[in-house]
Amino acid sequence: MVDDPDAHSGADTRHYESCPECQSRYKAVAGDATHITSLLSAPDLHVDVASAFDRVRSAPAAQPRFGLRLPVLQPGRRPLMLALAATLAAVALLATAVAEGDNIFSPKTVTPVPVTVADLESLSQLSAYGDLTWTTRPNLQIAANEAEAKSISGLTPPKVATLPTGVSSTVTYAAMPRAVAVFTFSKEKAAAAAAQTGKSLPALPAGMDGAQLTVTIGPAVAEIYGNLNKPSSGSDLTQASLPQLIIATSSAPVATSTQVSVKQLEDYILTVPGISPELAAAIKAIGDPSTTLPVPVPIEFGTATRVQVQGVDAVALGDNTGVGAGVIWIKNGVVYGVVGTIKQSDAIDIANHLT
Amino acid sequence: MATVRPDDEAFEALFTAEYARVAGIANRVLADPHEAEDVAQEVFIDFHRLHSASAQYARAWLHRAAAHTALNRLRGARRRQRREVLSQAAEEGTQSIDPQKQVEVNEDRRRVREALARLAPKPAAVLVLRASGLSYAEVAQALGVGTGQVGTLLRRAESALRKEVTRGTSF
Repeated sequence: MVDDPDAHSGADTRHYESCPECQSRYKAVAGDATHITSLLSAPDLHVDVASAFDRVRSAPAAQPRFGLRLPVLQPGRRPLMLALAATLAAVALLATAVAEGDNIFSPKTVTPVPVTVADLESLSQLSAYGDLTWTTRPNLQIAANEAEAKSISGLTPPKVATLPTGVSSTVTYAAMPRAVAVFTFSKEKAAAAAAQTGKSLPALPAGMDGAQLTVTIGPAVAEIYGNLNKPSSGSDLTQASLPQLIIATSSAPVATSTQVSVKQLEDYILTVPGISPELAAAIKAIGDPSTTLPVPVPIEFGTATRVQVQGVDAVALGDNTGVGAGVIWIKNGVVYGVVGTIKQSDAIDIANHLT
Repeated sequence: MATVRPDDEAFEALFTAEYARVAGIANRVLADPHEAEDVAQEVFIDFHRLHSASAQYARAWLHRAAAHTALNRLRGARRRQRREVLSQAAEEGTQSIDPQKQVEVNEDRRRVREALARLAPKPAAVLVLRASGLSYAEVAQALGVGTGQVGTLLRRAESALRKEVTRGTSF
């Protein structure tokens, strides 16, 4: 018995019209509902839709971040941190792409870099030494279907040959066009950061002030398996349904710099007073990768092993407990990732059979 | 020349169609029109950053996000402080009501919101969405449950709210 007439089927309605008992129950239910509605009375709301739309449209875009803020999860879902960390590693690569020689970095293979979560998060401190802007803002979208995902990203989502037992076949597509972030080193900002420690800025190498690091990420496309169609609030992670398996591909990130090499930029930032030990450690961990893409692996959540996938070197995360595992590799200029609450052996098997 | 993307047009259409309802859901939770509009705009901004306005689930997502975001604020520390001045906020635009009556209305609203904040998220959301005028089918879509379950969820939630309101007044 419900108090929404539209929720009744035709048979229910016919029965209701001839059943005094049901009519009585309906009155009671409807009376209860009316009482609750009166309890939940609220002041009158008069909205100005046009003004509200202007405010929403002029809301500042999300600020770019060099670094990775891991999402806060319920304690019971902490193991998923591993999978998420692996998925989001591609984002952290923004901070880890380092140019060599001709100031262009375009990775061809992957290598694991053990870091702490504090190291990853501290990369956001880079904003104290310059200005971070998006020239093309990341616009990750949930696509209505595979064709729309392909249209947004220009990439064809890879096909999974066989899903592991227990993984829902319900798939959601996400896609992102190419995005470009620019970090411009600022003498003034770096001096202010140094002054906070009571020290002055070391002598600037020629061309350092205003030197720019431009990082291009994406386009990217992902297939997300699991019941994600349940709507969820972006601001309430505890209500979110987490995916069981994510298959993601992205064009490998490309970093270029102006005026100085990225190695010079990195070396100089390491000498600026006020830089935290965590940020210094993170930058040093990035090292000098040349044509290798470092995959930051939070040491609190798992270890990484080198494996072969589709004939190329790959980094595998997690284990065979099924709690969480992933594998990341680069082939023909494209970064691939398979992560989820699956066994590592399943992740590698899926990776080897992607088409 | 600036170009308008199809999704921008779709978002504006979605906003125009749903803003009042989304703000209404938040107002039903918070009993504070100003804060309800804050919530509604936050929800639309979150949605626009991550989702396509032409997605089939757009309306359901907005309705659920409005309920949960407002309920989170209701439970939050900031809200607890603001609740102290709920009476003043609610009086705006209702000056023609007898002041004594208005005080009683505001006290009732405060008591009910405290009870609502103590409910589990799902029962609280089902009550708020239904009281905001959503049909059973719309409530079901917003909460990701079958339409046939909504009646049962509502009855249980109504009972739970009554108990909480009674508990709140028995101390």
